[in-house]
Amino acid sequence: MTRSRITIWLVLAIAVALIWTFLPMYWTVKFAFMTKPEISRFPPLLFPPDPNLASFFNIFGSDYTLADGTVVPASGQARQIILGLRNSLIVSVVVTAVTIFVVTPLSYVFARMEFPAKGKLLAAVLLSVSLPPVSTLIPFYVLYVQLDLVGTLFGLIIITLTITIPIVAWVMIGFFRNMPPIEQLGRIDGFSRLYIFTRIMVPMARSGIMVASVIAFLFAWNEYVYAQVLVTGSTAVTLPAAMSGFLFQAPEPGHLAASIFLSVLPPFVIAFFLQKHIAEMNFV
Amino acid sequence: MARLASPDTETAAKTPATRRRGELSNLQFALVVTVPVLVFLVLVIAYPLGYALNLSFHDIRFFGGYSATWVGLENYADVLSDERFWNGFLLTVRFTVETVLLTLGIGMALALVVRDLPPRWRWLRALIILPWAVSPYGAGIFFAYLGRGQTGVGTALANALGFDTSINFITQDLVVEFLALGAAWNMAPLVAFFLLANMLTTPPRLYDLAKLDRMSRFETFLYVTLPPLRFTLFVFTCIITVLSIKTFDYIFTATQGGPGSASSVLTYVLYRTSFQNLDLGYGAAMSFYLLALILISTGIIFFTWGRREARR
Repeated sequence: MTRSRITIWLVLAIAVALIWTFLPMYWTVKFAFMTKPEISRFPPLLFPPDPNLASFFNIFGSDYTLADGTVVPASGQARQIILGLRNSLIVSVVVTAVTIFVVTPLSYVFARMEFPAKGKLLAAVLLSVSLPPVSTLIPFYVLYVQLDLVGTLFGLIIITLTITIPIVAWVMIGFFRNMPPIEQLGRIDGFSRLYIFTRIMVPMARSGIMVASVIAFLFAWNEYVYAQVLVTGSTAVTLPAAMSGFLFQAPEPGHLAASIFLSVLPPFVIAFFLQKHIAEMNFV
Repeated sequence: MARLASPDTETAAKTPATRRRGELSNLQFALVVTVPVLVFLVLVIAYPLGYALNLSFHDIRFFGGYSATWVGLENYADVLSDERFWNGFLLTVRFTVETVLLTLGIGMALALVVRDLPPRWRWLRALIILPWAVSPYGAGIFFAYLGRGQTGVGTALANALGFDTSINFITQDLVVEFLALGAAWNMAPLVAFFLLANMLTTPPRLYDLAKLDRMSRFETFLYVTLPPLRFTLFVFTCIITVLSIKTFDYIFTATQGGPGSASSVLTYVLYRTSFQNLDLGYGAAMSFYLLALILISTGIIFFTWGRREARR
């Protein structure tokens, strides 16, 4: 666009967009810097009157002494939060790696080759994207009880793959379909299909693969429904399941806010640095 | 590209016999790559669906020992005369329609704002995307605290301006609209980024021509900016419809279906039936109505709108 002048309207619009973006997060995250009496004050405070880091120390299991000498005791759920942070990282990284490793060749084949029943298989992929987790939860739970996979990281990784694989496949198929038909040239030059795929298509699709990894990571990192049912209270607990303790059993808005703050940081860093590539993925 | 790196195919491509062998390995390549994943996918779709289908024909009881009695289609018939189901159905439809409209509208607004940024300010685009990275359960928690009268921003602002009132958005009448706004907050950035990418492909010349024609800003938007975005809007209408109908964790952390049952959308009714009342057969039957709703709504959107867009 040529008209990139800064007008008063543009500044106003940007201000509104930024308030819209940050106000909902700020409103909860500010609890992390407030004491319990400050949080429950009425009318609610717009800003933390005396910001402190107590909640962040508490959720990692240490007491914190405020400036006025009051000691804020550590959270009883610290062990779960630390475990959750570790497990969430493991699950997300493994799921992302497996998803990309499996889906890249799959979506290449779907996008570029003709084979029988391709349309039906694609429809199955789309169907599994639209299956609501609440309706698949009970069958999976029963299966997991029988296989003794409840409360294990392995079980959670498998079930998270059932979410990431269809979605990432959907995105990547569109991406490969829009790439120039360079493999014809490669074929004329006598390269094998495998060689063309690994040495030409994959490097060319690098930005698509990057975006696909971001999507897989986000879905794995943010998964809550299955985790809540399958791993809550076990040693395989993930961060979302661990912090739901602050929400329901013993409401601790400060601790909840601190753990949410931690949980959104990794996705934020990733989204922030890869936002230029996000629009490169192609749905259908 | 290092052409010499594949000596076998370099010579192999010359004779018809070996080329046929090459074709065979292509098929093998396709099979090796797809079969394991497809088997996995089919299992994870077919198994739960099959299991749920079987459940839905039974009356499952846990009291006095587990028992499953075959009841045929009774569960499906019962669902249709269940008041909670219809209440949830209407709430789901209301939530979905509002979420789709708000998400597309706000996504469009965000895209227009960040499109006109001068190069020095382009980094702001990276901030606008951030809500998309927040999980649905996180968005639920954010909007619960934001909207409640006790802790909410409405009360805080009203009191800061000198009014002594409590402003609550999580009420019988407003909760669905408020939740739709929160869902739009969560999803609009992605829509904005796709719209932006499409907007930037419109040649600037068209805007100059629009200026020559003395089009108003609104006309320019309608006749120059909007037409190339229609397919993207269609695709996102489908995606957001599906996501809104199947959303559960967001509602769960935001309101737990409340106040009363004012935000007990279908997924929440289903959760209550299966996990709190442990009425598994009935819940399974209900889940097929939910799935049907998802498929029928996307079908309607496709046949009334998508086919026209695809033909263009």
